[in-house]
Amino acid sequence: MAQIKLDGTSKVFGDITVIPPLDLEIGKGEFVVFVGPSGSGKSTLLRLIAGLEQVSGGRIYIEGRDITTTPCGDRGLAMVFQSYALYPHMTVRQNMAFPLEMAGEAKASINRSIEETAHVLDITRFLDRRPAQLSGGQRQRVAIGRAIVRNPTAFLFDEPLSNLDAALRSSTRLEIMKLHQQLGATMIYVTHDQVEAMTMADRIVVLNHGKIEQVGTPQELYERPANLFVAEFIGAPRMNRIEGEAAAALGAGTIGVRPEHIRIVQESGLWQATVEVIENLGAESHVHTRSDVAGPLVVRMSGSPGVKIGDRIGLSPADGFVHRFDRHGMALR
Amino acid sequence: MNILRWLVFGIAAIAMNFPVIVTLITSFKSAKEIAMNPGLIVQAPTFANYARVLTDTSRFNIYAYLFNSTVAAFIGSFLALLLTLPAAYAIVRTGVGKKHLLPVVANLRAVPLVVFAIPLYMMFQFVGLLDTRIGLGLILTIVNLPLSLMMMVNAISDIPGEIDEAARMDRASAFVILRRIVGPVIRPAIVTAFIFGFITAWNEYLFGLMLTTRQAVPITVGSSFFFSASGGGVQWGIASAVMVLGAMPPAILGCLIYRQLTGSMTAGAVKG
Repeated sequence: MAQIKLDGTSKVFGDITVIPPLDLEIGKGEFVVFVGPSGSGKSTLLRLIAGLEQVSGGRIYIEGRDITTTPCGDRGLAMVFQSYALYPHMTVRQNMAFPLEMAGEAKASINRSIEETAHVLDITRFLDRRPAQLSGGQRQRVAIGRAIVRNPTAFLFDEPLSNLDAALRSSTRLEIMKLHQQLGATMIYVTHDQVEAMTMADRIVVLNHGKIEQVGTPQELYERPANLFVAEFIGAPRMNRIEGEAAAALGAGTIGVRPEHIRIVQESGLWQATVEVIENLGAESHVHTRSDVAGPLVVRMSGSPGVKIGDRIGLSPADGFVHRFDRHGMALR
Repeated sequence: MNILRWLVFGIAAIAMNFPVIVTLITSFKSAKEIAMNPGLIVQAPTFANYARVLTDTSRFNIYAYLFNSTVAAFIGSFLALLLTLPAAYAIVRTGVGKKHLLPVVANLRAVPLVVFAIPLYMMFQFVGLLDTRIGLGLILTIVNLPLSLMMMVNAISDIPGEIDEAARMDRASAFVILRRIVGPVIRPAIVTAFIFGFITAWNEYLFGLMLTTRQAVPITVGSSFFFSASGGGVQWGIASAVMVLGAMPPAILGCLIYRQLTGSMTAGAVKG
């Protein structure tokens, strides 16, 4: 049985439909990532589940119980906010104690929970500090700690790493993944970063204009995108999009080939192109080319590229890795 | 350059505070010296004026006036905060009243208070609040409402909405959020609004003059009684001593404001 179920859930602000009616089921212990560009409705969807926004239509169920109109505090969910949202006048200990005090727990039990959680997150030495005395990463750990102490049915994360620098983002990402394995709890995680989505999720929900474009494992989304939007959104560098004659030749309105699935063949090849820019990242290179018939194409190669700017090269897609889409951008199987 | 700067500062400070300095000096002069020596140097300092004011309470009781002012000013500043804190919270978080109500209330400050005086006198007469400390306190509350509301709205606006949402997720009610989260976070603003309100209420003269006669006379009105305390001409020494005593509570509170204006309680609450 799904632990969290959205049944025709929708949200309208004034005349604007932010989330058209959608259905979604999230299983117990799953790590589900809502991903999409700005304005795709991913945060709104999370806030509907949290109860911070009221739904305009449909129902929401948690463990079979209809919680559509239940106040956010009574849904058994804990949320970690993008900006941490710690109580600035309270110490870390008081921040973590607050939800337990609100739940009416005994002081001894509160202290025990805080100590255990602080140990798990390695924030014991910060317990008597205030948020202003902590770094960004430490604050985020405290925010996660405040969520954990409640022992919620599910954790909701609203872009929790956006305010951290690249190195810290990467390490905190790993910590959240370890935490998920350790706690085995259901987690719903919102991000606009497809790398976060790919690396963390059991399942990814790709949203665009409030609509679910595709739900699947990271591998499914990468290998079998349901449409052009998903194909281009998942994967970095983004999938090459080829239209016109080159696509028609393969019986499609549009074709897509991932940069790692195009080979450089010196003389022949399906498409002739000129090398325009080379990005050398050390372990791999991104060769930006312009093809006579297929337009701009990016090729991802391991190690050094072996070509230079201005070279005329032939490009061929790897067999079985050409994605075909119809005129409406839907995948052709 | 530095000397010039200090010189300008010194002259400005003396010029701006000259009336206060003269009043203070006069309060230490005897009636005879006031008549003979109008200068700023006191030749024979005396506490006689203060002693007279503080001990001779048969006709005009400064303790009663100070007590009346304290009670009325406390009601006027505390009640204003009690009303404006939840109102400001609702305005900021729901947006209700932000467009029309807030400007109207804020502009009450611009209306001359005397406009309210006659209808209020009649209303107070009707409900029996004339010459009562509570009645005066209620009027002072209205006087303080606009500034207090503006200060609360500004302070609460600085608290990120996500903090409220985090508290709501933690099962806190609106009242608990106000009492345990918003209130403590904007404590400096609350204290500042209270002190400003108290000083404004303490120094209020018009309503004290119109709405009180014997029982609830505040120090501002009571001070004027001492001008001719002994009959005959104005007793400048006694009047100065009363004014110095009456100005001391708000002056001390004024100094306290500056300690509250430093630092921001929201530091570290959100990103950064």
